[in-house]
Amino acid sequence: MVETNDGTPPPGRVLLIEDEPNIATAISFLLGREGWRVSTHSDGATALDAVARHTPDVVVLDVMLPGRSGFDVLGGIRAGTGDVRADLPVLMLTAKGQTKDRERAAALGATRFMTKPFSNQELVAAVADLARGPV
Amino acid sequence: MPRSIPTGRRIRERRLSLGLKQAALATTVGISPSYLNLIEHNRRAIGGALLTRLAEALGSDRAALAEGGDSALIEAVQAAGAAGGVAEGPLADAATLAQQHPAWARLIEAQAEAMAAQARTIEALSDRLSHDPTLAEAMHELLSTVSVVRSTASILAQTPEIDANWRGRFHANLDADSRRLADGVEAVMELFDGRATDGGERLLPSEVVSRFLDDAGHRFPALEELGTSAIAPLVAGLADPQARALAADILRGDAEDAARLPREVVEAASGPDDLIAAAGGDLALVLRRLGTVDPGRGLVVCDAAGALLRRKPVAGFALPVMGAGCPLWPIFGALARPGHPISTVIETPDGAVWRVHAVAQAAVPTGFRDVPVLRATMLLTRADGTGDAMPVGPGCRVCPRPACAARREPSILTGGVALDMAPVTEDT
Repeated sequence: MVETNDGTPPPGRVLLIEDEPNIATAISFLLGREGWRVSTHSDGATALDAVARHTPDVVVLDVMLPGRSGFDVLGGIRAGTGDVRADLPVLMLTAKGQTKDRERAAALGATRFMTKPFSNQELVAAVADLARGPV
Repeated sequence: MPRSIPTGRRIRERRLSLGLKQAALATTVGISPSYLNLIEHNRRAIGGALLTRLAEALGSDRAALAEGGDSALIEAVQAAGAAGGVAEGPLADAATLAQQHPAWARLIEAQAEAMAAQARTIEALSDRLSHDPTLAEAMHELLSTVSVVRSTASILAQTPEIDANWRGRFHANLDADSRRLADGVEAVMELFDGRATDGGERLLPSEVVSRFLDDAGHRFPALEELGTSAIAPLVAGLADPQARALAADILRGDAEDAARLPREVVEAASGPDDLIAAAGGDLALVLRRLGTVDPGRGLVVCDAAGALLRRKPVAGFALPVMGAGCPLWPIFGALARPGHPISTVIETPDGAVWRVHAVAQAAVPTGFRDVPVLRATMLLTRADGTGDAMPVGPGCRVCPRPACAARREPSILTGGVALDMAPVTEDT
């Protein structure tokens, strides 16, 4: 495991829910390099089970998922479905230009957004911010 | 708007100017002199083959005799002129233009129609960008791939010390995803290219079908004789498969109607009341059958949203070619009271009076959990010009009535009527 860049305590677990394998690879590499333990999950239908099983500190959630949309998964998390922590920080990945998606995710309680294509540094910084919790 | 001259009076004037006796003309066209007399006094609606025979006997053009024939053309020219910013003075020349140069007037009309159709195509295309699932999917695919390429490339660029295994993996991903990107762009280009070339006449399927129905006068004798087996050859000439399917649907309904209420029965009836028993109490069926069988009657069918599903125009009653009708038409009132038949009299802006029969009925749901689908039907029959008739219009865009509480948009005929109409008074 790589050491963190600054002196902050070591990061925790990230669950990446994303069906595009090559994005998952890139994000896993980026976060793993910062010391995060990254698990990936690619199916919307079983995503909530995965959240309950992995008990991550941060969830990175794509909007477009097979089986069940990212919105539904987010709604499930916020409803505390199946012993999931309802206040879990969620970074939502939406497509650029889809303002409606963004508004919908905000209404459902996404903690933060990132539009695809994203900048690697911003993504890493956003996950670190979320793990620190509300300021 | 020019006051239209009823067909009957045109026939009478033409006959008198030729010095023909009523009886002589009646014999030539094969009807009784008393019937011709009724026609000449606008007491019988006329259309179809008889009008053609009369036109021939009078050495005249069918369109010139039919009421609304040239007045529709004048209105179309006026509308095109008004839309193009022609001043009110020259706008009045539309009548002269349409009468003296009908070919040019028809060209103006056709061009105005083509422009309206193109405007709708543009609207539909911009709508597609936000609602087309194929396009949305293609764009999503592009964006995801771009995301991978961007993220992966920047990892490689910013991590010179990267482990060889990771580097190999990222290079392979970049190679695969750049290829995906190229394919995705090609797919999107094909999507647009295909749409640009299949535009054809740029008419929506519903417009193609409504033109097809109008060309046949909404009458298909083959359906009456052969039933549904006549549908396929009738619609074979429609190139667009969507339009063909839509037309086949409508004709299937017509064939079923014809089987339930045969043409002889309909032709023997003098009005809707005579047919209720034969139709098994289905009032909408009675109106649809009278509307399609009798060329002298108009027919309008709409759904609960007020969208006009069928519009069979009748000479003298202008139905909008596209868009909504007049909110004062009894057909919309019928929607408020499903099952209650309406029989009332209305007056169009040119002073013509019409008997209207209307009813809204729900299609029988297939199960108790289904929502019944409501449709309203309206039959238009020319009536004598007496009594209290409710003033209505052809739809706001082409309606000249200046003070109308129901107006929703300015008319193009009256040079931009302001929308600050008289306040609607409440019943106390």
